[in-house]
Order: sequence, then C-alpha cells, then structure tokens
Amino acid sequence: MELTQPLELFPGHNVTLLLFNRVRNAATLRKKAMEGAVEGALINPAMIVDPFQILVAANKAVHLHKIGKMKTRTLYAEIIFSLSPNNNISDAFKKFGISDSDTAVLIVLVADGEKTVNLEDIASQVEGQQVSLDELPQLTDTARVKKMYKVTPQEEKIGTLLDSIVCRMSTKDVL
Amino acid sequence: ALEERLSRRRTAQEARSLLRCRRAGISAPVVYFVDYVTNSIYLEDIVDSVTVQDHVNSVQQSGHDTSGLLVLAEKMGELLARMHDEDLIHGDLTTSNMLLRPPMEKLDLVLIDFGLSFISSLAEDKGVDLYVLEKAFLSTHPDNENMFKVLLKSYAAKSKKSGPVIKKLDEVRLRGRKRSMIG
Repeated sequence: MELTQPLELFPGHNVTLLLFNRVRNAATLRKKAMEGAVEGALINPAMIVDPFQILVAANKAVHLHKIGKMKTRTLYAEIIFSLSPNNNISDAFKKFGISDSDTAVLIVLVADGEKTVNLEDIASQVEGQQVSLDELPQLTDTARVKKMYKVTPQEEKIGTLLDSIVCRMSTKDVL
Repeated sequence: ALEERLSRRRTAQEARSLLRCRRAGISAPVVYFVDYVTNSIYLEDIVDSVTVQDHVNSVQQSGHDTSGLLVLAEKMGELLARMHDEDLIHGDLTTSNMLLRPPMEKLDLVLIDFGLSFISSLAEDKGVDLYVLEKAFLSTHPDNENMFKVLLKSYAAKSKKSGPVIKKLDEVRLRGRKRSMIG
C-alpha cells in the first residue's frame, strides 16, 4: 500500500511514502512531530501533486544533509522545507506540514542502508486509515498548489503542474 | 578557488535562466536538482529530441518539405523574440542549442544550454545574441540563408522591442565583431 522508491543519486537510500485518510489525531501527531518524537516527515497531502515532488525534496534534503549544509535541524524538517518555493522555514512548516484540523496525512520516511524504517511503528501512531498513494490526486488541492507556487498561465502551456513545482523547488536557493 | 567561484556562478546563472524561461512560457528543460558541490544541474531529458541543426541538415539532404523549414524559421524567430522580451540573453545561440520535440511536424522547440546566459535589457546584448546565431547559422547551414531572413522577420514582428535590436544587429555586422562593446 505504501510506496517505496530509491533515490537514484544516493544508492542505498529509499524513500517510503505512507498516505492516511480519515485521520482523527492530527493535533497529537503534529505535537509529537514538533517534539521530534516521530521518525518521519508529516506532510499535508493537499499540497502534493505527485510522489515525484516528494522525491525531489528528499533528494535535495539528503544531499544537503550529507554535506552538512541543511537549513533546518533534521533531515525530515529539511524535506518539508525543500518542498517550499521560498526560503522561509516557518512558512514552509505552516503550509506543507500538517495542521491540527487536517484529516489526511502523508508520511515520508527515508532509509539509508544502515538505518531501517519501521512502518508498523509509524502507522500505529496514526489514528486513521492507511490508503494507497493512488488516492493522492483526490486529496490534492490544485488551486492552492498553483497559488503557493505562483504558477503562471504561460507556464501551464509548456509543461505539467509538477514541472512548474519541481523547477521552483530546485532553483529557489539561486533566486 | 576562483575556478570554483566562476563555476558556481555559471551554474547559478544557468539555473536562474532556465526558471526564468519556464515562468515566461518559453520551452526549456525542467530543472530537477542543482548540485553546488560539483556544479552540475540535473535536467529533464527531452526524449527522442533532435537538434534543429540535425533536422535542417536531414531535410536539406532529403530534398523534401524544405518549405517546412521556413515555418520552422518563423517559429524560431518567435521563440527568440519572447526570450529577448524577457530580457534573457542566451549567450550561445546555435542550431545545436535548439531541440525539436517529437513529433517533428509540431515544430515544438526547446531551448537548451544556458551556461553563458545572462539578464540584460540592452539592445546591444540582444543584437549580439542574434549575431552569434547568424554566424553559426550561416556557417552550418550555408544553403539556408533564406531561413535566417525569415527568422529575423518573424523576430522583428513578434518582439515588442525589436527596432533597436535589429539596428544594433546591423551595426554589429558592420563591425564584424562578436563581442559587445559595453565594458
């Protein structure tokens, strides 16, 4: 049900995505995440259009982690920050992290050869139903995403929404 | 250390230009990841694409549909007009830095290789940009002079600021130099 994909540029590293719907304890989860008691990035699925968007964020986060140049304090926080089109960390958490009233949660885990991830452990902390990543498009708030990433109408003609998003994620530190 | 800094600056410029293109609706590869350690950019692979250079050569050799080349030239002119109207100077315009996405009949152009690009509103810089393309074009496709004429006509028609640019292009031709005289 969950989706695991390797990071091509970092052999041995795998990214696992778990999607939950009808979540009842978002507030508790958020609190735990803030305290660092959750081994994973808790993301608002409304802001995600495709698992590739997560892979791009994870790739960048792992890269920065390896060279000691992360802007945030943990790999998981960095993944959330990498999703943002701007360089404001607290804004990234607010927009891409989960809120107390959320009913859907996307959890991202990264495993590197040595450290394994315990899916059951994470899943057991969520009071909700785990669903397949195929349901992600139904949870995406396209209008909100377009607004957040400031996608231009001309841009939509030459590529997909995912293309626009990925471009901004990867070039934001240059702007 | 200087090498490193120059390399990094070029990488950043290229990434910035690629984003600028896409925001303006100009077809350029999507940037997936920029690695500032090795100064490499991971880009979208334009699958099964052909360079305009190869396309022109193969059409020229086969002898048919050479009129399609003039339509291609028009589209090239339009694309460059849009790019320059965004004040984006490519810096290395050649027909091998323009790709055609399949199917060829669609004339779906993609600009690539922005390593030497920069932002400028000066007609001089845009004129030189076109001059570089003209020289490259006429030397690689000597039997297609007409194409370049059509390209320029299309550019002039499409670009809102083309007057001064074409004027500068004429001046640069007379000077016979490839470089901008600024600075």
